[in-house]
Amino acid sequence: MEKTVKKAGRKVKKATRKDFYMEIRKSPGRFLSILFIVALGVAFFSGIRASEPDMRLSGDSYFDESGLMDIKAVCTYGVTKEDVRAMERADGVALAEGAYSADFLYSAKDEQQVLHVMSLQEKMNRVTVSKGRLPKKSGECLADDNSEFKIGDRVELRSGTDDDISDTLKTDTFEVVGLGNSPCYLSYGRGSSTVGDGSIQAFLIVPEDTFDMDVFTEVYLKVEGAEDLLAFTDAYDDRIEEVLTRVEDLADERAAVRKDSLMDEAGEKLAEAKEELEEGKEEARKELADAEEKIADAERQLADARVQIEDGRKQIADARSTLYSKQKELDSARAEYRLGLAQLNEGKTAYESGLSQFEAARPDAEAQIAAGRQQLDGLQAQIAADEQTYQAVLGQIAAIKAQIEAIQGQAQRTAEDLEEDNPPGDTEEGDRPGDSEDGDIPAELLSQLAELEQTAQMLAMKIEGQRQAYASGTAELDASQKQLAATAAQLAATKAQLSAAESELASVPAKLSSGQKQINAGWSEIKEQEAKLTDGEAEIVSNEAKLADAKQEYEEGKAEAEAEIADGEEKIAQAEADIADIGLPKWYVYDRSTLIEYSGFGENAERLGAIGRVFPVLFFLVAALISLTSMTRMVEEQRTSIGTMKALGYGKGAIASKYIGYALLATAGGSILGVLTGEKILPYIIVYAYGILYQHLPRILVPYDWGYAAMASGAAMFCTIFATVMACYRELDAQPAVLMRPPAPKNGRRVFLERVGIIWRHLNFTWKSTIRNLMRYKKRFFMTIFGIGGCMALMLVGFGLKDSCYEIAKLQFAEIQFYDGSIYLEEDVTGEQVEALKDELNGEEQVSRYMDADMQNITLVNGKKERAAYACVFGTVKDIPEFVDFHDRKTKERYELSDDGVIVSEKTAKLLEAEAGDTIEIKDEENGNKKVKITQICENYMGHYIYFTPRCYESVYGEKPEYNSILFKAADSAKNAQMEQVGRDILKKDGALSVSYTHDIEKQLDDMLRSLNLVIVVLIISAGMLAFVVLYNLNTVNIAERKRELATLKVLGFYNMEVAEYVYRENILLTFLGAVVGVVLGKFLHLFIIETVEVDSAMFGRNINLPSFVYSLVLTVAFSLMINGVMYFKLKKIDMVESLKSIE
Amino acid sequence: MDGFVTLEDVKKRYRMGEVEIMAADGIDFEISRGEFAVVVGPSGAGKTTVLNILGGMDTASEGRVTVDGQDITSYSQKRLTAYRRDDIGFVFQFYNLIPNLTALENVELALQICKDPMDAREVLTEVGLGERLDNFPAQLSGGEQQRVSIARALAKNPKILLCDEPTGALDYNTGKAILKLLQDTCRIKGMTVILITHNSAIAPMADRVIKIKNGRVSDILRNRHPVPVETIEW
Repeated sequence: MEKTVKKAGRKVKKATRKDFYMEIRKSPGRFLSILFIVALGVAFFSGIRASEPDMRLSGDSYFDESGLMDIKAVCTYGVTKEDVRAMERADGVALAEGAYSADFLYSAKDEQQVLHVMSLQEKMNRVTVSKGRLPKKSGECLADDNSEFKIGDRVELRSGTDDDISDTLKTDTFEVVGLGNSPCYLSYGRGSSTVGDGSIQAFLIVPEDTFDMDVFTEVYLKVEGAEDLLAFTDAYDDRIEEVLTRVEDLADERAAVRKDSLMDEAGEKLAEAKEELEEGKEEARKELADAEEKIADAERQLADARVQIEDGRKQIADARSTLYSKQKELDSARAEYRLGLAQLNEGKTAYESGLSQFEAARPDAEAQIAAGRQQLDGLQAQIAADEQTYQAVLGQIAAIKAQIEAIQGQAQRTAEDLEEDNPPGDTEEGDRPGDSEDGDIPAELLSQLAELEQTAQMLAMKIEGQRQAYASGTAELDASQKQLAATAAQLAATKAQLSAAESELASVPAKLSSGQKQINAGWSEIKEQEAKLTDGEAEIVSNEAKLADAKQEYEEGKAEAEAEIADGEEKIAQAEADIADIGLPKWYVYDRSTLIEYSGFGENAERLGAIGRVFPVLFFLVAALISLTSMTRMVEEQRTSIGTMKALGYGKGAIASKYIGYALLATAGGSILGVLTGEKILPYIIVYAYGILYQHLPRILVPYDWGYAAMASGAAMFCTIFATVMACYRELDAQPAVLMRPPAPKNGRRVFLERVGIIWRHLNFTWKSTIRNLMRYKKRFFMTIFGIGGCMALMLVGFGLKDSCYEIAKLQFAEIQFYDGSIYLEEDVTGEQVEALKDELNGEEQVSRYMDADMQNITLVNGKKERAAYACVFGTVKDIPEFVDFHDRKTKERYELSDDGVIVSEKTAKLLEAEAGDTIEIKDEENGNKKVKITQICENYMGHYIYFTPRCYESVYGEKPEYNSILFKAADSAKNAQMEQVGRDILKKDGALSVSYTHDIEKQLDDMLRSLNLVIVVLIISAGMLAFVVLYNLNTVNIAERKRELATLKVLGFYNMEVAEYVYRENILLTFLGAVVGVVLGKFLHLFIIETVEVDSAMFGRNINLPSFVYSLVLTVAFSLMINGVMYFKLKKIDMVESLKSIE
Repeated sequence: MDGFVTLEDVKKRYRMGEVEIMAADGIDFEISRGEFAVVVGPSGAGKTTVLNILGGMDTASEGRVTVDGQDITSYSQKRLTAYRRDDIGFVFQFYNLIPNLTALENVELALQICKDPMDAREVLTEVGLGERLDNFPAQLSGGEQQRVSIARALAKNPKILLCDEPTGALDYNTGKAILKLLQDTCRIKGMTVILITHNSAIAPMADRVIKIKNGRVSDILRNRHPVPVETIEW
């Protein structure tokens, strides 16, 4: 028995299970519609909620990967290596690294930019290189990805302060070798600077050794364990806070240490300086003494030189007189020579004449000699003849004598000898003696002999005579010959003498000329010497001048040395005073929020979270309602089956479990689908959208967030199960018999509108039916309105977000601040320069008006609230309406700036929690806060402003405003390019620091907000999906519920289109009603989201423009029509036979 | 005799998965103008198929159906719709009133699509609902609802009044009253009324009785002297 029951039970279970699956198979549309709406709700809820952690996660992974610092500390006196080491040893600090950074100016094409130069760090803040490479050596740099620099560009930096650039950097020119980005800059913002126009355009990264500084400018720390924590979460913030406090304490210690070391250093330096000064003094003294001595020496040398020159002069004079005498001598020698020459010539003539006489006389003489010789020869011949005769005589004598010979033979021979000795001239004479000698011959013979002797004697005598004559003649001849020869010899001697004299004379001129040469040489030497002397004198003169100079120099040097010494002493005094003034170095310790845009990233994530908490609620509500209608419908459809089950004895739970199971399965499927797709797609899209703003995020991390998944799924389960239970509840309570009978048809009911007879009567009865139908199915009515309204609202929010954000630039610059630009003046601008600028502006056709203004950054205080704002003082009160329009945002009531108080921008007032009439304070730490009264609060979107009249300013500050800028307004016809030209012209003038244009700011803003587009697309798509699911589902239910009615209409002969219209009419009406609800809902949602999304520095518009309403409506209607289009086919498929069936 | 409504060898096949069902297997009959015809037969005999085909809600697989000389078998869906709206007045077993329209409005609903409608109030008064014009179906009894349904059908001024078990959901007396209304309509207005029922007891009140069995006409009776409804008992 029990077995069978069990078996039966199992069978029943099997049967119910089969029934359950069959149910799903039978109505896949219903099942799927629940599944999808749950999927949508869960996807949105978990997806958008997960976007918040996913965005943090994506950011955190980038931060961890690039080793982004956790803490940054700077010190007023710089950070020493010891500081860095001390920091690194601090508890909780994992790493510490000193780094350098400084801001410089750079002249771009037509503007001056501020560049932030940072040292390349090794341990943290790792740079991502997108192009090129990291800089390796001094002179190379990596440029900001977002800058206009290209690889290979040369960047020449200028100092923005009075200090030379070489105080900070080793070189001022860099070659761009790479492009990249730093985790310190998440987005487009580059922060502000104290140089140039104050806003940093781009950063450069250079190797550390490019910086030429003694101390680091900052130290970066990484906190132990912080990397494992997720940035922007409390866990991270707490950990950092903990270490930050410790670092701050350490910083105080380090400050004291630093002060001491600075004092020591300064003291040492002072002592050194003092010593140096002393040394300097001594040295100066020594040097001066040396100089004095040198001067004395120089004077002495000069005197010597002068003496030498005197000597030289004397010597030259001597030399000159010597030369004169020598010249005289030479001259006389020359005269002598000339005389000699004349004598020689005389001699020569004499000789010539002598010679000619001689030559002339010679032939005579020779002829005479020859004649003489002839005579002599005749004589000789005569002699010879006489001799012969004499001989003969002698012979005769001899003969005689022969006869006498006895004694005379001898005589004869002697006579012969004689004869031979005598020349023929002598012959006559010789003859004669010979003749004369023969005389001893005996008497006849003796007489003959005597006669012969006589004759011989005679002859001998005659010969003798002759001989003598001859001899004398010969002698005479010889003598004359000799004389002739002598004369010739004499002549020759004379000639020789002459030639000797001549030769002697001939050598004289050479001598003379050499002498002259010597003299000349002497002169030239003298001249030379004289020149030397003059030189010497000149030298002396110049030396004297030099000496004078030296003396002066010495005097000057002395004065200088004294001045320097005095200076040095003063400096030392100053240094001493400075040492006395050395304060405690001030440390500033920051966490990551000091990084530009870092906090913004976190805030964006938080805002996402805020949106995630609101948006999905809408989807959830819809999902719950859809489930409710679907399940209610299902339960109603299955009345009979429920009744049967009940009648069969099933318990409530068993019956309900089918429907609950059905809903559960659909919801579970939807949840899984929703989580799986939603948590991947939505965060990705959203973080990707933010990626436009944070473009350096290397990757988007979208892990499944099971917490949100569970939360969403749980909520979905609860909603559908609750709805199902609610749907089952009523039916299950009823008696089976009641359930078995068809339900009493829903009463047609008069609607309120019917009481308004005028309208009702004029309504086509199909409309009447429509309206009654709408009222009849209230659930559907509200759900559809809610669905359509939600869709409309979402789209309105999407478009409205765009309006609010995009419009603020337009609103701000077209309706509030409508000046076209401002010229910022240099700090030390003179009145004349300003006048010149204004003249230029007067001359510009493109500029219609201008006005002085004073723009300053101030901090406003109201109670505990503080807010940085721009204080703006207008020069000419009556012109203010031409530049700025103060009005209330809602009422558009115009305000005027009065001297009684200030007008404050709306958001500023809101953040300060101040209202018109309140008195707030302007922070002034030196002189105490100034109180100002807020007269009005004006519409304003960008930035925080507090506006003064000059008089109001004066009454608050006690001094006249110093106008630091000129606001200008362009002529209506002026184009942007023309304005910029004017700006460039203005900038060329002295005194103008920079020019900013409203249209630039507008553009910048537009660029920034473009990232919203994707968010808007997401909103529109989700709105569409919502609309689709809701309308599809409701229509399906509607058609299912009214199948009979529609079939009847068909049977009655309604064309398909007419049947559709019957249904459409309701849909269209509901769509419009929903749209109206959507407008209201959207307005609120929009406001809520704007306030959530809004950043502190700006107020987004609260407006949604008409086109947005139109777009939203058109899209909503389009979605609705699309659904209706799908429905048409469903309607067409309705079988008319349905109308014949009984009501189930 | 030229039938006002003629069916010649009408066959209708339905496909139910693998099985082909012959719902009508060659039905032949004709009905003259102004006749009160009753199609009678047990459940599943093919009455509804006849009704569907005659009512233009379905087309015959084979055969010819002519109504007032028009061959409706060749009609397109659109022409069939036009046929339904202009030529057929349909009275449903479950009245099929639009619940949130009043009696008058339910009639007007049909009139709105009609070429030559009658006055709704008049028709309703004729069917005896002159006092309940502004009542919603839920406020009316079954008989009253069926009267509205008849009024709706009649107001269209159709060629044929096609009634599908008009008394099926009504109690005996009310059913009788409705039948009387139908009979009167036929007699007084000369309306061709085709009544489909499983209740053969009604047959004596008809001019022509067509009996259907297994998808075929088993018998056609011409009743020369139809009896008034009041005299019929069942």
